[in-house]
Amino acid sequence: MTASLTQAAVPERTALDRARDGDTDAFAQIVEEHEAMVFSIAYHFFGDRSMGEEIAQDVFLQLFRRLHDIESGAHLLFWLRKVATRRCIDEMRRKRPRGVSLDAAVEVGTTVPNADPLLDRQLRRLVAELPEAQRVVITLRYQEDLDPSEICDIVGMPVNTVKSHLHRGIAALRKKLGDAS
Amino acid sequence: MNIDESLRQALARKAPPAGFRGRVFQGMAAAQRRRPLSRWRAAAAVLLVGGALGGFAVHRIEQQRQGERARAQVMLAFQIASQKAHYAREEVRDISRSQSR
Repeated sequence: MTASLTQAAVPERTALDRARDGDTDAFAQIVEEHEAMVFSIAYHFFGDRSMGEEIAQDVFLQLFRRLHDIESGAHLLFWLRKVATRRCIDEMRRKRPRGVSLDAAVEVGTTVPNADPLLDRQLRRLVAELPEAQRVVITLRYQEDLDPSEICDIVGMPVNTVKSHLHRGIAALRKKLGDAS
Repeated sequence: MNIDESLRQALARKAPPAGFRGRVFQGMAAAQRRRPLSRWRAAAAVLLVGGALGGFAVHRIEQQRQGERARAQVMLAFQIASQKAHYAREEVRDISRSQSR
Protein backbone atom coordinates (compact mmCIF):
# COMPACT_ATOMS: atom_id res chain seq x y z
CA MET A 1 0.00 0.00 0.00
CA THR A 2 1.46 3.22 -0.99
CA ALA A 3 1.15 6.11 1.32
CA SER A 4 -0.91 8.83 -0.15
CA LEU A 5 0.64 12.18 -0.08
CA THR A 6 -1.68 14.88 1.02
CA GLN A 7 -0.84 18.40 0.17
CA ALA A 8 -0.61 20.46 3.35
CA ALA A 9 -2.87 23.46 3.27
CA VAL A 10 -0.85 26.56 2.62
CA PRO A 11 -1.86 29.17 5.15
CA GLU A 12 -3.05 32.38 3.59
CA ARG A 13 -0.51 35.14 3.97
CA THR A 14 -1.73 37.89 6.23
CA ALA A 15 -1.59 41.57 5.41
CA LEU A 16 1.21 41.80 7.97
CA ASP A 17 3.29 39.15 6.15
CA ARG A 18 2.77 40.89 2.83
CA ALA A 19 3.49 44.34 4.27
CA ARG A 20 6.78 43.03 5.68
CA ASP A 21 7.70 42.00 2.14
CA GLY A 22 7.16 45.56 0.93
CA ASP A 23 3.55 45.31 -0.25
CA THR A 24 2.25 48.86 0.24
CA ASP A 25 -1.35 47.84 -0.45
CA ALA A 26 -1.07 45.43 2.46
CA PHE A 27 0.32 48.22 4.66
CA ALA A 28 -2.57 50.44 3.59
CA GLN A 29 -4.93 47.66 4.68
CA ILE A 30 -3.25 47.60 8.11
CA VAL A 31 -3.58 51.38 8.41
CA GLU A 32 -7.25 51.23 7.43
CA GLU A 33 -7.93 48.52 10.00
CA HIS A 34 -6.29 50.34 12.90
CA GLU A 35 -6.43 54.08 12.09
CA ALA A 36 -9.57 54.73 14.16
CA MET A 37 -8.06 53.09 17.23
CA VAL A 38 -4.75 54.94 17.02
CA PHE A 39 -6.33 58.29 16.13
CA SER A 40 -8.90 57.98 18.91
CA ILE A 41 -6.32 57.22 21.63
CA ALA A 42 -4.55 60.47 20.73
CA TYR A 43 -7.75 62.44 20.12
CA HIS A 44 -9.23 61.49 23.48
CA PHE A 45 -5.95 62.16 25.24
CA PHE A 46 -5.60 65.70 23.91
CA GLY A 47 -9.23 66.49 23.07
CA ASP A 48 -7.88 67.91 19.83
CA ARG A 49 -8.39 66.45 16.36
CA SER A 50 -5.23 67.87 14.79
CA MET A 51 -3.07 66.52 17.60
CA GLY A 52 -4.83 63.19 17.21
CA GLU A 53 -3.95 63.10 13.52
CA GLU A 54 -0.36 64.22 14.08
CA ILE A 55 0.28 61.51 16.66
CA ALA A 56 -1.48 58.85 14.60
CA GLN A 57 0.62 59.66 11.53
CA ASP A 58 3.81 59.40 13.57
CA VAL A 59 2.72 56.05 14.97
CA PHE A 60 2.07 54.57 11.52
CA LEU A 61 5.32 55.96 10.18
CA GLN A 62 7.10 54.28 13.07
CA LEU A 63 5.21 51.06 12.33
CA PHE A 64 6.36 51.16 8.71
CA ARG A 65 9.99 51.31 9.90
CA ARG A 66 9.51 48.57 12.50
CA LEU A 67 7.33 46.08 10.60
CA HIS A 68 9.91 43.34 10.94
CA ASP A 69 9.71 43.58 14.74
CA ILE A 70 5.99 42.77 14.71
CA GLU A 71 5.41 39.08 15.28
CA SER A 72 1.66 38.63 14.86
CA GLY A 73 -1.71 40.36 14.59
CA ALA A 74 -2.10 40.35 18.37
CA HIS A 75 1.38 41.79 18.79
CA LEU A 76 0.54 44.49 16.24
CA LEU A 77 -2.51 45.54 18.24
CA PHE A 78 -0.50 45.66 21.46
CA TRP A 79 2.35 47.54 19.77
CA LEU A 80 0.04 50.18 18.27
CA ARG A 81 -1.74 50.82 21.57
CA LYS A 82 1.55 51.00 23.45
CA VAL A 83 3.30 53.31 20.99
CA ALA A 84 0.27 55.58 20.61
CA THR A 85 -0.06 55.90 24.39
CA ARG A 86 3.63 56.53 24.99
CA ARG A 87 3.74 59.02 22.13
CA CYS A 88 0.84 60.97 23.69
CA ILE A 89 2.59 61.10 27.06
CA ASP A 90 5.90 62.17 25.50
CA GLU A 91 4.20 64.90 23.49
CA MET A 92 2.34 66.10 26.56
CA ARG A 93 5.58 66.42 28.50
CA ARG A 94 7.40 68.01 25.59
CA LYS A 95 5.11 70.96 25.07
CA ARG A 96 2.08 72.65 26.48
CA PRO A 97 -1.09 71.09 25.12
CA ARG A 98 -2.89 73.18 22.51
CA GLY A 99 -6.02 73.25 24.58
CA VAL A 100 -9.13 71.22 24.40
CA SER A 101 -11.17 71.70 21.28
CA LEU A 102 -14.61 70.24 20.96
CA ASP A 103 -14.26 69.15 17.33
CA ALA A 104 -16.93 66.72 16.37
CA ALA A 105 -15.15 63.72 14.92
CA VAL A 106 -17.07 61.03 13.10
CA GLU A 107 -17.99 58.00 15.19
CA VAL A 108 -16.89 54.69 13.80
CA GLY A 109 -18.85 51.48 14.04
CA THR A 110 -21.67 52.81 16.21
CA THR A 111 -25.07 51.50 15.30
CA VAL A 112 -26.98 53.43 17.95
CA PRO A 113 -26.79 57.21 17.98
CA ASN A 114 -25.42 58.64 21.20
CA ALA A 115 -28.18 59.33 23.64
CA ASP A 116 -26.67 62.56 24.87
CA PRO A 117 -24.12 64.18 22.56
CA LEU A 118 -23.70 67.13 24.93
CA LEU A 119 -22.77 64.78 27.77
CA ASP A 120 -20.38 62.99 25.42
CA ARG A 121 -18.59 66.23 24.58
CA GLN A 122 -18.51 67.26 28.23
CA LEU A 123 -17.05 63.91 29.28
CA ARG A 124 -14.43 64.02 26.53
CA ARG A 125 -13.42 67.50 27.63
CA LEU A 126 -13.23 66.45 31.27
CA VAL A 127 -11.19 63.35 30.42
CA ALA A 128 -8.74 65.49 28.44
CA GLU A 129 -8.29 67.69 31.53
CA LEU A 130 -7.40 64.81 33.87
CA PRO A 131 -3.78 64.21 34.95
CA GLU A 132 -2.01 62.27 32.20
CA ALA A 133 -1.84 58.92 33.97
CA GLN A 134 -5.57 58.92 34.79
CA ARG A 135 -6.38 60.13 31.28
CA VAL A 136 -4.43 57.34 29.62
CA VAL A 137 -5.84 54.62 31.84
CA ILE A 138 -9.44 55.78 31.42
CA THR A 139 -9.05 56.07 27.63
CA LEU A 140 -7.66 52.55 27.34
CA ARG A 141 -10.31 51.18 29.70
CA TYR A 142 -13.35 52.71 28.05
CA GLN A 143 -12.26 53.20 24.44
CA GLU A 144 -10.50 49.86 24.07
CA ASP A 145 -12.40 47.93 26.74
CA LEU A 146 -9.17 46.70 28.30
CA ASP A 147 -8.96 45.49 31.87
CA PRO A 148 -6.27 46.72 34.28
CA SER A 149 -4.01 43.68 33.71
CA GLU A 150 -3.93 44.48 29.97
CA ILE A 151 -3.51 48.21 30.53
CA CYS A 152 -0.54 47.75 32.87
CA ASP A 153 1.47 46.01 30.11
CA ILE A 154 0.79 48.85 27.71
CA VAL A 155 1.62 51.72 30.06
CA GLY A 156 4.39 49.98 31.98
CA MET A 157 2.86 50.46 35.44
CA PRO A 158 2.05 47.90 38.14
CA VAL A 159 -1.56 46.70 37.98
CA ASN A 160 -2.44 48.21 41.38
CA THR A 161 -1.20 51.60 40.18
CA VAL A 162 -3.41 51.29 37.11
CA LYS A 163 -6.40 50.45 39.32
CA SER A 164 -5.63 53.41 41.55
CA HIS A 165 -5.47 55.80 38.59
CA LEU A 166 -8.72 54.38 37.24
CA HIS A 167 -10.47 54.78 40.55
CA ARG A 168 -9.23 58.32 41.10
CA GLY A 169 -10.00 59.35 37.53
CA ILE A 170 -13.60 58.11 37.74
CA ALA A 171 -14.03 59.81 41.12
CA ALA A 172 -12.72 63.08 39.68
CA LEU A 173 -15.08 62.85 36.70
CA ARG A 174 -18.07 62.13 38.95
CA LYS A 175 -17.20 65.12 41.10
CA LYS A 176 -16.78 67.45 38.12
CA LEU A 177 -20.04 66.26 36.58
CA GLY A 178 -21.75 66.71 39.92
CA ASP A 179 -20.31 70.21 40.32
CA ALA A 180 -21.42 71.12 36.81
CA SER A 181 -25.03 69.98 37.22
CA MET B 1 -26.23 58.25 35.55
CA ASN B 2 -24.23 55.16 34.65
CA ILE B 3 -20.82 56.73 34.25
CA ASP B 4 -19.23 53.57 32.85
CA GLU B 5 -21.72 53.44 29.97
CA SER B 6 -21.49 57.18 29.43
CA LEU B 7 -17.70 56.97 29.21
CA ARG B 8 -17.90 54.07 26.76
CA GLN B 9 -20.12 56.15 24.52
CA ALA B 10 -18.10 59.34 24.88
CA LEU B 11 -14.79 57.56 24.27
CA ALA B 12 -15.94 55.33 21.40
CA ARG B 13 -13.47 55.17 18.53
CA LYS B 14 -13.64 57.97 15.99
CA ALA B 15 -12.55 57.97 12.37
CA PRO B 16 -9.61 60.24 11.59
CA PRO B 17 -10.16 63.22 9.29
CA ALA B 18 -10.65 62.62 5.58
CA GLY B 19 -7.42 62.02 3.66
CA PHE B 20 -5.58 60.66 6.70
CA ARG B 21 -4.30 57.56 4.94
CA GLY B 22 -2.99 59.59 2.01
CA ARG B 23 -1.06 61.83 4.41
CA VAL B 24 0.43 58.77 6.15
CA PHE B 25 1.76 57.55 2.80
CA GLN B 26 3.07 61.01 1.93
CA GLY B 27 4.96 60.98 5.25
CA MET B 28 6.37 57.54 4.44
CA ALA B 29 7.54 58.71 1.01
CA ALA B 30 9.20 61.79 2.51
CA ALA B 31 10.95 59.65 5.15
CA GLN B 32 12.22 57.31 2.39
CA ARG B 33 13.67 60.25 0.46
CA ARG B 34 15.43 61.53 3.59
CA ARG B 35 17.12 58.17 4.25
CA PRO B 36 20.81 59.09 4.15
CA LEU B 37 22.81 55.96 3.29
CA SER B 38 22.33 52.96 1.10
CA ARG B 39 23.41 49.61 2.50
CA TRP B 40 26.69 49.64 0.58
CA ARG B 41 27.61 53.14 1.61
CA ALA B 42 26.76 52.30 5.22
CA ALA B 43 29.02 49.21 5.04
CA ALA B 44 31.87 51.30 3.57
CA ALA B 45 31.44 53.87 6.35
CA VAL B 46 31.59 51.10 8.98
CA LEU B 47 34.80 49.70 7.42
CA LEU B 48 36.46 53.14 7.34
CA VAL B 49 35.58 53.90 10.93
CA GLY B 50 36.60 50.39 11.98
CA GLY B 51 39.93 50.77 10.18
CA ALA B 52 40.60 54.13 11.82
CA LEU B 53 39.74 52.78 15.25
CA GLY B 54 41.85 49.68 14.63
CA GLY B 55 44.83 51.80 13.57
CA PHE B 56 44.45 53.93 16.68
CA ALA B 57 44.34 50.80 18.84
CA VAL B 58 47.57 49.46 17.25
CA HIS B 59 49.25 52.82 17.87
CA ARG B 60 48.19 52.73 21.53
CA ILE B 61 49.53 49.18 21.96
CA GLU B 62 52.87 50.21 20.42
CA GLN B 63 53.03 53.23 22.73
CA GLN B 64 52.37 50.99 25.68
CA ARG B 65 55.17 48.58 24.62
CA GLN B 66 57.61 51.46 24.22
CA GLY B 67 56.67 52.64 27.69
CA GLU B 68 57.30 49.18 29.10
CA ARG B 69 60.67 48.93 27.36
CA ALA B 70 61.72 52.31 28.77
CA ARG B 71 60.63 51.26 32.24
CA ALA B 72 62.66 48.04 31.99
CA GLN B 73 65.74 50.03 30.94
CA VAL B 74 65.34 52.38 33.90
CA MET B 75 65.02 49.41 36.27
CA LEU B 76 68.16 47.82 34.78
CA ALA B 77 70.06 51.12 35.20
CA PHE B 78 68.99 51.24 38.88
CA GLN B 79 70.16 47.64 39.36
CA ILE B 80 73.54 48.34 37.76
CA ALA B 81 73.98 51.52 39.76
CA SER B 82 73.00 49.69 42.94
CA GLN B 83 75.53 46.89 42.24
CA LYS B 84 78.28 49.40 41.51
CA ALA B 85 77.52 51.19 44.74
CA HIS B 86 77.72 47.86 46.59
CA TYR B 87 81.13 47.05 45.03
CA ALA B 88 82.36 50.55 45.85
CA ARG B 89 81.37 50.10 49.52
CA GLU B 90 83.14 46.70 49.62
CA GLU B 91 86.31 48.23 48.19
CA VAL B 92 86.30 51.07 50.71
CA ARG B 93 85.86 48.52 53.53
CA ASP B 94 88.81 46.43 52.21
CA ILE B 95 91.00 49.52 51.97
CA SER B 96 90.16 50.68 55.46
CA ARG B 97 90.82 47.17 56.87
CA SER B 98 94.24 46.98 55.17
CA GLN B 99 95.16 50.45 56.45
CA SER B 100 94.23 49.59 60.03
CA ARG B 101 96.68 46.63 60.12
